[in-house]
Amino acid sequence: MITDRTFLWLAQAFYAVSCVLTLRRLRTGGSGASLQRLNYAAMAVGFVLHTVFLYLRGQAVGRCPLTNLFETQAFIAWAAVLFFLLIGPSYRVSFLGAFTAPLVLLICLAALTLLADVVQAQPATRSAWVEFHAAIAILASGAFALAFVTGAMYLHQESQLKRRRLSSSFLLLPSIEQLDTINIRLLILGFVMLTIGMLGGLVSYHIVGHWTKPKIIWAVSVWILYGALVLGRGIWALRGRKVAVASMASFALMLAGFWGVSLIWP
Amino acid sequence: MNLIVLGLNHRSAPVEVRERLAFATGQLGEATRALLGAASLHEAAILSTCNRVEIYGLANNATEAAQAARRFLHDHHKLTDSVDAYLYEHHDYKCIQHLLEVACGLDSMVLGETEILGQVKNAYYAAQQAGATGVVLNRLFQKAFSAAKHIRSSTAITRGSTSVGTVAVDLAEKIFGKLAKCTVMVIGTGEMSGATARALKSRGAGTILVCSRTHERAEALAAQLQGRAISYDQWPTEFPTVDIAISSTAAPHPIVTREKLIPLMKTRRQRPLFLIDIAVPRDVERVCGELESVYLYDIDDLQQIARENMSAREREIAACQVLIAQHLQRFATWLESNHSALEERYRNRMAATPLPKPAHTHAS
Repeated sequence: MITDRTFLWLAQAFYAVSCVLTLRRLRTGGSGASLQRLNYAAMAVGFVLHTVFLYLRGQAVGRCPLTNLFETQAFIAWAAVLFFLLIGPSYRVSFLGAFTAPLVLLICLAALTLLADVVQAQPATRSAWVEFHAAIAILASGAFALAFVTGAMYLHQESQLKRRRLSSSFLLLPSIEQLDTINIRLLILGFVMLTIGMLGGLVSYHIVGHWTKPKIIWAVSVWILYGALVLGRGIWALRGRKVAVASMASFALMLAGFWGVSLIWP
Repeated sequence: MNLIVLGLNHRSAPVEVRERLAFATGQLGEATRALLGAASLHEAAILSTCNRVEIYGLANNATEAAQAARRFLHDHHKLTDSVDAYLYEHHDYKCIQHLLEVACGLDSMVLGETEILGQVKNAYYAAQQAGATGVVLNRLFQKAFSAAKHIRSSTAITRGSTSVGTVAVDLAEKIFGKLAKCTVMVIGTGEMSGATARALKSRGAGTILVCSRTHERAEALAAQLQGRAISYDQWPTEFPTVDIAISSTAAPHPIVTREKLIPLMKTRRQRPLFLIDIAVPRDVERVCGELESVYLYDIDDLQQIARENMSAREREIAACQVLIAQHLQRFATWLESNHSALEERYRNRMAATPLPKPAHTHAS
């Protein structure tokens, strides 16, 4: 039977195709411009299917589909692909898709296979503020996901340069300076969005009046973590390898927090 | 009708012979026209680079045309001795295969180099403008261009740099991205450091500073690179602004040490620093490469990468040959299916060429 989840599964098929194309590009070793375009197209088709899933689910629950952990994870992955599609061509970051597709695939497959997906009944009250604050915070997570991706690319490329052992990905990957720049921009963008989301949260919880404590503590810690990372560059000349490691660790912590908070204090 | 190629390259002939047979770029068109007449070819093109001179032609009879082409080379260059021993000759399939291999850089001195494709294109355009090419060579050369493009994008034959200077440039670009904002410092003016600095300059490196114990040499190299010569004692004061340092001094001990670099990296706010140590004995302490944001390569590291890239290209030859065979087959099929039409066409054209008028026509 075709449900909205079917579209999410189909999207995963296209993300998987993108992963296979990357492996082929690494093996053939040519300039691979056509493979890169094909890769982008696969991600774009995956994104459209992913959007169809969110739309159908949004129709079903009658609001922004962030009513359970499963939907939240799917939304974060969607935001990550959105940022990939925007950043890849405009900054000419080659090979970004190679690292984005596996992360997105991992998040979605974990959500699809491990999480109970109980469609929530429509709530009595519905606040635009609540939806706005949640949606923008999730978009911020998408930017952080891409910061994780560029961080991983940085670490891979930097370690090749340090060890003086160049693999077939060396010429395909961007320069470490470019990766560092994009990384910090994504962190700033994510942080600004998260801040707006948190302010929106302040307003919305005032209106609706429910206040789940662990969730708030966790959200504030994520905000402080990323704030320190963004300010760190100016204050302690934090950059390069350290920022790459920190942006990967922060995103991993954030995801773990999502699962932990939602599963322990549903 | 036959396709022929007659020529010599870096393997078949020493440079003394190649330079005598080379055609000046400006005279290619004229020479190609002269060749058409001299060797009675239907179509012709001349490829002349510093590593090869080759005549491509379409003839009624390959053996006769090749003989005539040999005479043309001899006469055109006013040679007094025979160069036959240095020349190779391929017909039909072998000729097509040869051009495809040449265009793809498989026959080049540096395997997979890409300059050759531009040179083949120039040879073709010169011949085309001189009106020396026709339906067969037009198609053959276009085929060679598209084959070269295809092979470049789908194999690793052009991948990775194969000389110390260009390997250094690749590394610099993977550290800094565009080099326009980079400051390069050359410490010591050896041949290799000059070549490396030139390679960086040609890819857009911003400021170049040169220092040497002999100031005249520093100034000479700086002038070549449109850079600035600084005195040898000045280099430590200029060093904090530098992104890429190429060092090749004759100093017996390292001049860049870990102790000197640590405070320096602080003032740079951990911006990356690329150290290229070409000197033997080495100028930069090996442990410097372990510092954060410092990337240190010595001459052995660079040569090792150049060698690995070259052997990676060699491993791609078989894959290239498979693709070349496909392109060759497609062209050969077209040629065969159009063979009689082409023969007809050229017979008619020859008939159409006005024969020299007899001295006396029917007097009226």
